[in-house]
Amino acid sequence: MNVNLMFRDRDFKLGVVTLFGKEILSADLELPRIIDTMAGRDDVIKKACETALFTPLTDMAELQYRQAIIADARRNPEAIRALYGIVVDTLSHQTHEFRAFASDAMGKSAAVSMYRSALAFLNSFIGSLMALRQVADKNLNGFESEGMRNLLTMFQREMDDKYFKQVRVSLTELDDAEGETLISAKLGHYLQGVDYVMRKLERGDKRSWRLTSGYEIPEKQIHLLDDLRNRTNRAINGVSNTLSQAAKNLQGFFTSLREELAFYIGCLNIEDALRELGMPMCVPKMNPMDSKKREWRDQYDVSLALTRRTKVVPGVFSDPGAKLYLITGANQGGKTTFLRGIGQAQLMAQCGMVVGAESCEMPLRRGLFTHFRREEDSRMKSGKLDEELTRLARALDFVGPGTTVMFNESFASTNEREGSEILRQITDAFVENGVEVFSVTHLFAYADVYKDDPETRFLRAERLPSGERTFKIVPGEPLRTAFGEDLYNKIFAEKA
Amino acid sequence: MAFYSILYPTREKAEAPAESQAECFKDLNLGQVFDYIFKARVEYSLETYYFVPLQDAESVYYRQAVLRELENPQHAAVVAGFSSLVYMQGSILQSVHDSFDSAETWRNNYLTRGQLLDSAERYCAAIDHFANSIMPIEFESEGLRAFKGYVDDYRRGAEFKELLAHAKRIRDKLSEVQYVMHIKEGKIRVKKYDGEREFSESITGLFDKFRQGETNDYASVMPDVPDAPQVEAQVLDMVASYYKEAFNELDTFCRKYYNFIDETLLRFSREIQFYLGWNELIAPLREQGLPFCYPKVAQGKDKIFVSEGYDLALAYKRHGEGIVTNDFELNYPERLIMLTGPNQGGKTTFTRAFGQTHYVAALGLSVPGRDAALFLFDRILSHFGSEEDLNTQSGQLQSDLYRLKAIYARATDRSLILINEIFSSTTLADALPLGRHMMEAIRKIGGPSVVVTFLDELYDESPQVVSMMSLVNPEEPGARSFKIVRKPPDGMAFALYIAARHGLTYDQLQVRFGK
Repeated sequence: MNVNLMFRDRDFKLGVVTLFGKEILSADLELPRIIDTMAGRDDVIKKACETALFTPLTDMAELQYRQAIIADARRNPEAIRALYGIVVDTLSHQTHEFRAFASDAMGKSAAVSMYRSALAFLNSFIGSLMALRQVADKNLNGFESEGMRNLLTMFQREMDDKYFKQVRVSLTELDDAEGETLISAKLGHYLQGVDYVMRKLERGDKRSWRLTSGYEIPEKQIHLLDDLRNRTNRAINGVSNTLSQAAKNLQGFFTSLREELAFYIGCLNIEDALRELGMPMCVPKMNPMDSKKREWRDQYDVSLALTRRTKVVPGVFSDPGAKLYLITGANQGGKTTFLRGIGQAQLMAQCGMVVGAESCEMPLRRGLFTHFRREEDSRMKSGKLDEELTRLARALDFVGPGTTVMFNESFASTNEREGSEILRQITDAFVENGVEVFSVTHLFAYADVYKDDPETRFLRAERLPSGERTFKIVPGEPLRTAFGEDLYNKIFAEKA
Repeated sequence: MAFYSILYPTREKAEAPAESQAECFKDLNLGQVFDYIFKARVEYSLETYYFVPLQDAESVYYRQAVLRELENPQHAAVVAGFSSLVYMQGSILQSVHDSFDSAETWRNNYLTRGQLLDSAERYCAAIDHFANSIMPIEFESEGLRAFKGYVDDYRRGAEFKELLAHAKRIRDKLSEVQYVMHIKEGKIRVKKYDGEREFSESITGLFDKFRQGETNDYASVMPDVPDAPQVEAQVLDMVASYYKEAFNELDTFCRKYYNFIDETLLRFSREIQFYLGWNELIAPLREQGLPFCYPKVAQGKDKIFVSEGYDLALAYKRHGEGIVTNDFELNYPERLIMLTGPNQGGKTTFTRAFGQTHYVAALGLSVPGRDAALFLFDRILSHFGSEEDLNTQSGQLQSDLYRLKAIYARATDRSLILINEIFSSTTLADALPLGRHMMEAIRKIGGPSVVVTFLDELYDESPQVVSMMSLVNPEEPGARSFKIVRKPPDGMAFALYIAARHGLTYDQLQVRFGK
């Protein structure tokens, strides 16, 4: 029974991500705030959403499969949350029992206690299975997506009344196998007993055994009683193994169910949060990977909106096909925020989520890599340049056609002439090899190279004639000054 | 001539007193390399073989021939299987003897006797299987050819055939035994098995449909080994009372074959691991394309050389990736390589490789390189100073000098001397005259030597001295080439191009993207 809510034909493996540089992306795009909003305090939701965000789907059909389930969840939030609730409750009730079960398995007298905990474990799971089926019976008609309908009908089919009856009968039959035991054996290669099999001790035989002489563990060597217990363990091992596997299978099923539902709960949570803030959101239009078209209206940095409750800065952009985006202009004019908005939208869109914009259109991307200036680094200049290069070099294996690279003030740590030359060589090589590049830069010599390039778009942090910043990113070629003086003036004006 | 050892051509050579040469391992990083072999084959205690380099060409070639033959994976697999089985029976037999001789009488029981029978059966099977596997092979090496003859004679002998037949007879009887144990309140009773019914397993399959991926097998944690041997021994005594004839015959067998293993076969099973360990160690490096060869032994005025040599420890650590190979040659009367050039250019690595290669060659093994002729030394004397050493300078200088004095005292014209960056913490005014004295002394000793120094001035163009330099690639000064070539010292400075070192220039990226 496969859950298949995240993929039509595959299991969802928590923590297995395809994007390179999860930590870097996470920090540069400020994703933790988004993930936390999705997760609330649920660690499984957190991991599931992280996994989904860092594993962008590149297949349109897979993406639509997931988007349909999200739409279903949006229509039936109570039913989805009810399923998730049953699963979480079951697993948390079982945690205690399961720990005992798992640690017993390590111990020496494993089989007997494993036998007992597994039996208890199975008995208590039956109720949860019934609850799941009841949710399915009640809500099936409200669901439209292939994924959800498959899951709920599977509950009905595989866990019908007949099945429950059969399970109860079997569990009752497995009576206690302790106290007095009978075990058959053969001789092993050095005459040790092997092939232990538990045998039924018939009532009539008990007397005849009592009359047979035997070996009694001497009182001074009670540690040898372990040996006798171990014999029973070995014999019961086969039955116990079957039971434990059954328990483990059920536990695994509930765990998968939780992990695959978790992402959708996360989607519901963040949509609720953005709705409450009055921020726009949309299901983006995705273009094929070889398309270069990008378009957006009122796109914003979701993380910033969640943190500071900012308002949308209105802005419209539409371009049929650029390879390089060069963003220049005043410090603290919204350039980094702009990059974050694009990056977040890309990752959110490609795991099936809504994105933070009034409307939005973008190509599918195989990968996204960010190379942001590290502010906190206070090492010597040469060491810093070395660090920047190292960071980029590590990502090279993951950069190629169909990927996007975002530079944010890269190579500002060296002088302008050197920094420009290094960054120009890298940018040229990337762009010529099908990599889409967004580059926020103060390196004028670098930006200037692309002045007449038809496939480069110049964007600029807007600054009004009064010197005031609007935080809008508008089309515009680089200006030679970087407005550092503005900032200086503003800060010193504040003090006065 | 009768076969005695697979490591030495004659018994006399095998038994000659030998001296451990492991003191050079630290500077040469040879310990790291050999440790892998020692750890993977700890039960064979191979240290004794690897610590003793050979002193004569005949023994070197004897081993080379055996090793070369074991490069054939089929041959190696056959020999390895035999070796581990026979050697293991040796250890088992040892512990069986300990039990028989033990003061605690319970240790001399049916389990111990069972072990002896089991071990004897495995031994017979190993020999039979091995003899059949090697019969069709035409070995070329003297060592393996002689051993094959020995094995064939042994397994055709009457003693071996009788052992085999006797063990089989007893095993047949014992395999018919089946019993039931009744356990209750600290007491265990035994009877012959009499058709008692199996315990229920009705649950099987009911929960299989919930399986997600692999399911663990919880049964695997229970080995078929008795918890307390003395209880098992008591159980066996009870079983024996139901099956008297089989157990009596086992007693007879144990008395007769108390010591069933042949000494020469046992010795071979340990010695052959010396070769197997080496080939296994170098196999992954070979797969990476790193060359190994069987060196000639350079005698008298023969040229000493290696082409495409490298540092084995480094290659091993890097899994054979990014290793730069280097050549050297010493044409008589040249004996001393003076090595200069930029730091981090591979000088220490070259020096290590020089020592390692000689050492490994003297073990009769294949060495890193495409082709080589190497010198059989009496010992390797090395002193690797360390630039990072922040001892007080005078203390460091003093200890360097003591160290040198000790080296001069032990060195002969057959000794390899390797000196790496000493006097580096001293002022130039001190270092120059001391360095000249050192060069003079080592040249006079006359064995093949390498001196790594930052003092270009020490080069004096005498016929015994060869100057070599570590290089920087002129087109890419940032990337160290690690090439060491024969040329006079030139003190060339080099600039670092950091981007190139990271592979991030336009040209490098284009190549990377495949344009």
